[in-house]
Amino acid sequence: MITWVLYDIKNNSARSYVSKACKHAGLYRVQYSCFLGTLNANEKDSLELQINKVINEETDKVYLFRMNKEQLKECSMLGQAFDEKLVTDEVKALFF
Amino acid sequence: MQIFINTYGTYLHVMDDMFEIKVREDKKQPFKVNHIAAHKVTSFIVSKGAALTTDAIALALKHNIDIVIVENNGHPMGRFWHSKLGSTTKIRKQQLVASLNETGLIWVKSWLAKKLENQADFLNGLKKHRKLQHAYLDEKCAAILEFRKKILETDGPDVSSVAESFRGWEGSAGRHYFEALSTCIPNTYQFKGRSFRPAQDEFNALLNYAYGILYSRIERALMLAGLDPFVGFMHRDDYNSKSLVYDFIEPYRIYGERFVFKMFTSKKMNKSYFDNFTGGVSLNQDGKAFFVPEYLEYLDNDRIKYKGRLQTRLNATQLEAHRFANSLIEKE
Repeated sequence: MITWVLYDIKNNSARSYVSKACKHAGLYRVQYSCFLGTLNANEKDSLELQINKVINEETDKVYLFRMNKEQLKECSMLGQAFDEKLVTDEVKALFF
Repeated sequence: MQIFINTYGTYLHVMDDMFEIKVREDKKQPFKVNHIAAHKVTSFIVSKGAALTTDAIALALKHNIDIVIVENNGHPMGRFWHSKLGSTTKIRKQQLVASLNETGLIWVKSWLAKKLENQADFLNGLKKHRKLQHAYLDEKCAAILEFRKKILETDGPDVSSVAESFRGWEGSAGRHYFEALSTCIPNTYQFKGRSFRPAQDEFNALLNYAYGILYSRIERALMLAGLDPFVGFMHRDDYNSKSLVYDFIEPYRIYGERFVFKMFTSKKMNKSYFDNFTGGVSLNQDGKAFFVPEYLEYLDNDRIKYKGRLQTRLNATQLEAHRFANSLIEKE
């Protein structure tokens, strides 16, 4: 399923840990503190556990939203939007 | 997803257990850095001029990602693969035995027959929108099916006793087939038969590239099924010749042919996608970037019916490779 991860984390090292964990899980950075990509239920749970370990529950906020492709299509994206095919794993080839 | 590295000077290494690809257009610009999680990648297709670290190779091996080094025309030159066989050694032993007895012949006949059948089917399908060429295409189909019949009717103790005739018939059928294809594509792209290294025209350049990708995928499918790509039945056991790949690919060449043909008839390809050089034509950087994603979509995403189930074309070939490998060891 398509998963959005949004966060506000005060501590620098915790924040960079979370961003790395997101990239590791195969998510793409769409804004400074917003990641997006396709995760299955296990991958989502494991990411959640990793994030939970480092954040401060008193000060930090992290949201994980799940949606399917139909719901993503209903979203409005303005300006410099991300590549929809990339985050839904439909891109089969990347060129460098 | 497959990662194609074509830009000269690209650097692939490992950062935080992820692949990091550094690339820049020219020396005046800073490097662009891309991170890709290892489990998202299925293979790296690298043409010359890139640098990769041993860590990157190790990470790829750990995740069963193959790194294929390709020539400019898309043909695989070599690959990194872990030092294990895809499956039991029994399969390889039986493969060698089969190459020397009638089992090999039965398989070769079925592959070649399927190939010629595909060619005839394709030409038959082309008749639909080409009323004026009905008679011509019918004649070509009949000629190809005649060679198919000859192949199916030939028997012998092993492949080598009939290989010479098979090669002749297959070649003649191919000539009819490509002649027919040439008359059916737009005038500016018509060609005179097959040509390789280098291709003499745009159609051959694109077809060679499409076959190149297919070779690399078929080789992978065979290795995953535990077969030895170098032990073929019909193609000569030359030094370093991946004979089995060339044998096994025959029924699947049609994927490349149909797709390349469609690219020309639907006017999607244009001359700017090709470079001319002395003695030949090749697909250039822009051409590759345009062609490959569409082709992979066709091979990897598009589904066809295989044994009653919807499968992607490449999945179907993988299943077929497993079926072939299993049939070899069942007969013990």
